[in-house]
Amino acid sequence: MRQRPWLVLVGGFGGLLLLMAAAETGALLFLNSLRHSGNTLQSHFLARNRTLEQIRSDIYLSGTFARDSLLAPEISGSRAQIAAIEGLRKETETSLEHYAQSLEPEETKPFQALRSEIEAYWKVLDRTFSWTAEERNKQRFAFFYDELIPRRTSMLQIADRIAGLNEESLKRGDEKLGALFGRLQLWLMLMIPVTLLGGAALAGRTIFHILRLEGEIERRLDESVQARTGLQELSAKMLRAQEEERRALSRELHDEVGQSFSAVLMETENLLDLDPSAEARPRLESLRGIAEKGINEIRNMALLLRPSMLDDFGLVPALDWQARETAKRTGMHVQLNSEITDELPEEHKTCIYRIVQEALNNCARHAQANTVQVAVRRETGKILLSVLDDGSGFDPQRVRGLGLLGMEERVRHLGGTFEIDSQPGRGTKLDIVLPLARLNGNHKNGTNPHPSV
Amino acid sequence: MEPIRILLSDDHNILRDGMRLLLERQAGFVVVGEASDGRETLDLVQNHQPDVVVMDIAMPNMNGIEATRRITEKHPQMSVVILSMHYDESYVIRSLKAGARAYLLKDALKSELIAAIHAVTEGRSFFSPKISRILQEDYVQALGRKGADDSYDLLTDREREILQLVAEGKTNKEIANTLGLSLYTVDTHRTHILQKLNLHSVPEVILYAVRKGIIS
Repeated sequence: MRQRPWLVLVGGFGGLLLLMAAAETGALLFLNSLRHSGNTLQSHFLARNRTLEQIRSDIYLSGTFARDSLLAPEISGSRAQIAAIEGLRKETETSLEHYAQSLEPEETKPFQALRSEIEAYWKVLDRTFSWTAEERNKQRFAFFYDELIPRRTSMLQIADRIAGLNEESLKRGDEKLGALFGRLQLWLMLMIPVTLLGGAALAGRTIFHILRLEGEIERRLDESVQARTGLQELSAKMLRAQEEERRALSRELHDEVGQSFSAVLMETENLLDLDPSAEARPRLESLRGIAEKGINEIRNMALLLRPSMLDDFGLVPALDWQARETAKRTGMHVQLNSEITDELPEEHKTCIYRIVQEALNNCARHAQANTVQVAVRRETGKILLSVLDDGSGFDPQRVRGLGLLGMEERVRHLGGTFEIDSQPGRGTKLDIVLPLARLNGNHKNGTNPHPSV
Repeated sequence: MEPIRILLSDDHNILRDGMRLLLERQAGFVVVGEASDGRETLDLVQNHQPDVVVMDIAMPNMNGIEATRRITEKHPQMSVVILSMHYDESYVIRSLKAGARAYLLKDALKSELIAAIHAVTEGRSFFSPKISRILQEDYVQALGRKGADDSYDLLTDREREILQLVAEGKTNKEIANTLGLSLYTVDTHRTHILQKLNLHSVPEVILYAVRKGIIS
């Protein structure tokens, strides 16, 4: 499974954020509607209560006005009270109409009772207005205590009952709201675990993916490090094998092939001693010349492959020879300053010799130098090699020939440092430091494994 | 006159055979033994007491330079002629320091071999003309490289005379007799020569003389 890390991250965390936002918005909307319902319930209750209060006070007041009007001796003296009662009656009717609009089902019966009771009350009151002065005087108190007060009390009782029902309705509304709160709670209780679980799942998935990616990266890093180490080991092995082969080939040429040519030479001399015929003598002399030439060529080939001095006497005689050979061949002045007296490990010896050989070749071939200074010296725990020429120089940032790479590779195998300092027209300086710390280890054996001298 | 007794030391049978044939045809030479490595050479030297050992350098068991050192230490009267493929001066100087008196290349002609054997029995040194030439060329080039003055110019005529005799292998006593000088005078000259030329041993003097073309 190959997923881009950014996709996983955006998907994971984006999904989580969306889930959280959705849960929060839902809860907020719910709360809002709850508050709204609560408000409506409250105001509804208050409005109805107010209407009931109005009705009750109107009835009470009408009773007072009726008493006052009856107390007047003449009907003419109670006009103002009758007008007020008329007004109260209208107001009560309006209030009843108003209340009827929002009637709860269980209120219907008491409300009807209240209504007919009030109707009857007004009718009874109406009757008193047509009484003569005498009738008034006679029936005033009886009417007041037997009709008006009981009717008023009954009406107020019914109104109280309705008010009680109204309160119950409020209570029911509150209970409904409570149930809704319960639902919100449930919703939140559901959403929080869902969000948490989703978040945990997403986080887990993301962490898993990141860990896997990290593992992958580490594995690849390991692989590439291993591959590089493997390559370096291989290249070191190949260098060693190459050197070993050169050494064997050089020695074989020198000691075997060369000696055979020497034997041919010797035998030819023997034949020449035997007074050969005039015809054979020039042939034998030619043979002697060929053998002599062969010996020289083999010797040169052997030296070029690997100078025997390197194995027989050590680094300094080999460098001496290399410096002399280069000077002779190219006309460059080669100055060698070697302060190495004791024997070096085999690999160091070969490394330094090959680097000097390559550097001298470069000086002659590419740099057209007049003078080359080679310096080798030993300090505690390390060997310092420098090659300085006055040739044409180059830009080390841009030019990196196979020769330089080879030198660098050799130095790296021995854990050393390799520096080139060069500029076009300013000559070149190579600075190489080879540590000798490994001397104590398995590289202790610095002597030639196949000594002949 | 007694024939010169020669021991051949080389790990190549064919070469030894050829050499033996070549030398035995010469009047006054007798090949008393053949060895194929350094150790065998030491044994045969002990048994046959040769006058001259013709020695290769590259040999198994013990190389020719080491064998030369042991022979000339134990038997100062014997002479060693090195016959080698190597022409680099590092081999020449080490052979001389080990006590060899002559150094021949293996492409040497018969005449060189015979001349070298005669020279060493007479106490002189001998080098293949090719070796002399290479050493001289290198020396001249090295002088040119260093831009140094040739310290040979510092020597007086008498010192140059004595230098040549030392390089030819003469002892102080022989030099004193030849030049009619006292032993003490010869010794003083000798010390001066070594100081002026910055040399430290007879082999170095010989090598110097070869490089300068004073002897060959």
